[in-house]
Amino acid sequence: MATAIIETTSLTRNYGDICALKPLDLQVPEGEWLSVMGHSGSGKSTLMNLVGGLDRPSAGSLQVGGKDLLALTEDGLARFRREFVGIIFQQHHLVPYLSAVENVMMAQYFHSVPDEAEARLALERVGLGHRLKNRPGELSGGEQQRVCIARAIINSPKLLLGDEPTGNLDHKSTVMVMDLLKELRDEERFTIIMVTHNQEVAAWGDRTIYLDDGVLVREERMNS
Amino acid sequence: MKRLLRIIWAILFSRATPPFVIGFFLLVYVGIAFITDETLIALMRYTRTSFFLTAMLALLPLNFAVRLVVETIGYLKMRRVVMVSTEDVQPGLFDETVELTVTSSFEQLQSHLEALGYKTRRIAGALGAWRGISIFPARILFIAGVFLLYAGILISLTTRTSERVAIVEGEKFSSSTGESGIVERITFEPSSGLILAKKLSMEVAASSGKGKNVFGVYPPSLYQGAFVYPRYLGIGLFFNFTAPELPAGYETFSPLNIYPPGKEATSVIPGSPYRLVFSLVGPDDETDPYTTGRMNFNFKLLKGKDLVLTGSAPRGGEFVRDGYRLAFRDSRRLVITDFIRDYGVLMIWASGILFVIAGCFWLPVRIFFPRSEMLFRSGPDRIQAFSRAEGRGRKHEGVFHEALDLLEMRRTDRKSFEG
Amino acid sequence: MVAIKLIPHILSWVGIVLILLRGFPERKRVVAVAVGAGFALGVAGTFFLFRSFPGDFSFSLIRDVVGGSFLLLWGIAVASIYRSTVRNFPLSWGERFFASIFFAGVGAFMSGMIAGAISVCRLGTSGGMLMLLILVLVACVLVFESLAIERLLPPSFTVSNSALMAGVVALLLFSSSSILRLDLFSPLSMKVMKFTHDFVHQFFESMLIPDHLFIHIHLWRYIGLLFGKEVGFWGGLIIWFAPAILIALAISFERLPSVAHIRQGAQRRTVVATAIRARRFRLVVPGITILVLAGAGYQSRFPAVEYWDPKPIVISAGPSGEIVIPLKGEVDLKDGKLHKYLFSQGGKEARFFVLMTPTGQLTVDLDACAICKPDGYGQTEGTVLCYYCKTLIPLETVGKPGGCNPVPIHFTEKKDGVYIDGLTLINTWSTTVQTTARVKEGSK
Ligand SMILES: Nc1ncnc2c1ncn2[C@@H]1O[C@H](COP(=O)(O)OP(=O)(O)OP(=O)(O)O)[C@@H](O)[C@H]1O
Ligand SMILES: [Mg+2]
Repeated sequence: MATAIIETTSLTRNYGDICALKPLDLQVPEGEWLSVMGHSGSGKSTLMNLVGGLDRPSAGSLQVGGKDLLALTEDGLARFRREFVGIIFQQHHLVPYLSAVENVMMAQYFHSVPDEAEARLALERVGLGHRLKNRPGELSGGEQQRVCIARAIINSPKLLLGDEPTGNLDHKSTVMVMDLLKELRDEERFTIIMVTHNQEVAAWGDRTIYLDDGVLVREERMNS
Repeated sequence: MKRLLRIIWAILFSRATPPFVIGFFLLVYVGIAFITDETLIALMRYTRTSFFLTAMLALLPLNFAVRLVVETIGYLKMRRVVMVSTEDVQPGLFDETVELTVTSSFEQLQSHLEALGYKTRRIAGALGAWRGISIFPARILFIAGVFLLYAGILISLTTRTSERVAIVEGEKFSSSTGESGIVERITFEPSSGLILAKKLSMEVAASSGKGKNVFGVYPPSLYQGAFVYPRYLGIGLFFNFTAPELPAGYETFSPLNIYPPGKEATSVIPGSPYRLVFSLVGPDDETDPYTTGRMNFNFKLLKGKDLVLTGSAPRGGEFVRDGYRLAFRDSRRLVITDFIRDYGVLMIWASGILFVIAGCFWLPVRIFFPRSEMLFRSGPDRIQAFSRAEGRGRKHEGVFHEALDLLEMRRTDRKSFEG
Repeated sequence: MVAIKLIPHILSWVGIVLILLRGFPERKRVVAVAVGAGFALGVAGTFFLFRSFPGDFSFSLIRDVVGGSFLLLWGIAVASIYRSTVRNFPLSWGERFFASIFFAGVGAFMSGMIAGAISVCRLGTSGGMLMLLILVLVACVLVFESLAIERLLPPSFTVSNSALMAGVVALLLFSSSSILRLDLFSPLSMKVMKFTHDFVHQFFESMLIPDHLFIHIHLWRYIGLLFGKEVGFWGGLIIWFAPAILIALAISFERLPSVAHIRQGAQRRTVVATAIRARRFRLVVPGITILVLAGAGYQSRFPAVEYWDPKPIVISAGPSGEIVIPLKGEVDLKDGKLHKYLFSQGGKEARFFVLMTPTGQLTVDLDACAICKPDGYGQTEGTVLCYYCKTLIPLETVGKPGGCNPVPIHFTEKKDGVYIDGLTLINTWSTTVQTTARVKEGSK
């Protein structure tokens, strides 16, 4: 088995009295595609936020890419997010008044410096070479989500997190987005963790874990 | 000897020479400033008279002349390189140089770059791509301008000769080249020019008697190889002066520097203690006495330091009192003129024109169509790639890096993914 | 009191040491020792200099050294702009020299020496050896303090060679400009004014450009600006700030590293972004330098000194046309102070002053010079100052003609007083002063 890119022991997150994530032990090997399923409120997003460095755990240990996220300073954590993680949400969070290519360049800007040719290439890779200058409002949901994918992978992250990226898409678009992600992963060899309510979507992954009320209840390995 | 030649060549060739020479002259200027207040004039005099300083100054135009040749050759070479017409590529001329251990025939790359607006040329395993206009013409004009400027300064400093002559209406004047024809007419009129408010013209008959020369103010006219540079206007006054001790009278023609009205000039009566101080009376209306020829003169008569009398009289009139008599026989317009032999001036003018043209070319090209170039050459097992940009470098580099990525990852076939 | 007087110098001293330490991060110890030793030697040397040559010579020597360092800075600035804009500019030997331990040591030593000399100029030698010993001690303590402070500065804050030079020279200028007699900006603007006038004149003659007689009056007004009083100030400002600005530009024109060999976009961009960040940090010192230079220029333009500026006493000539001023009347002419008089005759006026120079010689001069508008002179410690161009004229040279010195007037000193010919006075005033006033104002 490849080295683990994510390693948690007794990872816990409390919001006051609410325990969103009960002590969790999880290992994700490098290059794996892990699907996360569970009821609403079961702590899926909480887990993603912790792993992506958007939130800090209440207890336990959390190692991502060999870094102890609990030991990092705010600056270190920001840097980690910038250089290590790409995130795609259900809501696209694209800047409405910037074009597709500018939205991608924005991510480059926050990472280092913008590079238009590279942003354009990224959009071409997700099949939007013909919609570079369109604003998010002029794109379909599936196209918007593909812009998000381009934005998420532009900085070559080691870890791609998806929080229900296909939640708002119809079947056809979902397939297209998932196909694309698979293709990109085969090329770039990043690790994917994807939250979904859709069994079919989960099946794209190598492994699925089920959370219930903050507890890992079941684990299932796919044999594609 | 050979070494010496090499050093001289290096000095002529080096881009460090101009700043060093200018810095040297600055230091000399600072040094002179400790000694005299007329620093600039002293520096000009020293440069003119000292062989060493003249030679130092001469380094500037020589260096730029060499630059002119070197940069032209460099540009032509570069052009051949990017047009893939030569094998001889000097990596030092580019901003970025890189080697990839892949091979390609560049066909896909060519169409990719063309789609991005680059012009391309592909010959046997090499691809050149370029866009925009080179600023080379502006550069070469600029260098030529600098050359002319320094050459002009050098020539002007070392060879300028100047001769001051009073050109008087109705008279001949003589300069070092001999006597002229009669000055037929001098006119001085308001002008509606953009820069010049007054128009001066001096019509001089040719000494041979046929034809005539007309001298204006600017641009200066040429007369027998010298520039005609009018400096001041004045009046040539024919007067007759009698005093009690000078009953025979004294008659003379005196060129007086008394324009504009109010300005005073003195004429000494030789062999007597008398001096006459003249000035021109301004007319009541707005007219200019020099233009109209209606001249009234104020005068003061001084005997030693004492003022004897003051008075005024028109042209052709006379003034009599206490045994003194002053008659103004005639007055003529005159122009104090410098005849200047200095061909450096032409070069400095030309340099100014070249700078303007270069600037007019440079600015729009640099802003709107900056030149950027790249070159890919494939060897048996590797590709060499070169790139440079004269402006908007970041964008061009992006394209260049993308091209390299495409070459290495062979991603050009991926565009089929359309929804 | 002494401590307050020294504040600008202490600030500059700490700044200089900090910049030097950051500029030579591998040679901190050498730099610290050299700069301290330089300071001590500078203090001692200046002490003996003032002992041997009291008065203007010592001041102008130190001022010229500071001026020389400013010229050197100009050279460095030009070289650095060439280096970052011209490919293959032959400068590698210069860079090797900069990087050598020799340069670090000598540069720090020289900076320390000049700083020490300037401090002594401020303190004066009247305090004796003990005072100067304390000064050196304080400076050394500050060096140690700076060593500690330097460790607290963020590591990404780096100083390029040229910025190092700019920072040190600017701080030296800041330090020296608080001392009237070391001030460089005013003489600079004065020289610039003179140069501009000469240059424009020469240029017109050389290019055969016609005189104002032929040119539209409104156009001539613009040309007249070049002869105006502000041209020296603005030209001086340009020369003052240009080296720091050139160095800042040179840093921002520096080529970014080539990243074409990296095959991942994000990595390429990281390298570029890191280089840009480092470049921005290197711009900090030139930025500060510009502010320091502004401070120095301000101090020089508005010096914090009180002038002795007496009201002119109205005086008239006797029947023979001679003005007589008693040596000891209402005022004591030989008290070493400036005594101004106003004389009028036939509707014309002339202002002049009587002064005893430190060498014990009486001198009578117009309250105006041959160059500037006749705004007159004020007296400060050891000098008189032209109100118009802010040039300082050492008392020793008052009575000698030339430059911005007051125009000397012929007089005879008798037992009972000073005798001046009224007509000569009026004539001298009208020939020199009226022409300057007309050139300065009339061309407007
Ligand atoms: N910032 C917060 N403050 C307080 N409680 C929170 C916060 N964020 C999440 N929670 C609580 O933590 C629990 C887990 O929430 P989480 O967002 O992880 O659920 P989820 O599995 O992502 O659900 P869904 O599928 O609806 O997105 C919920 O009970 C939620 O109310
Ligand atoms: Mg959720």
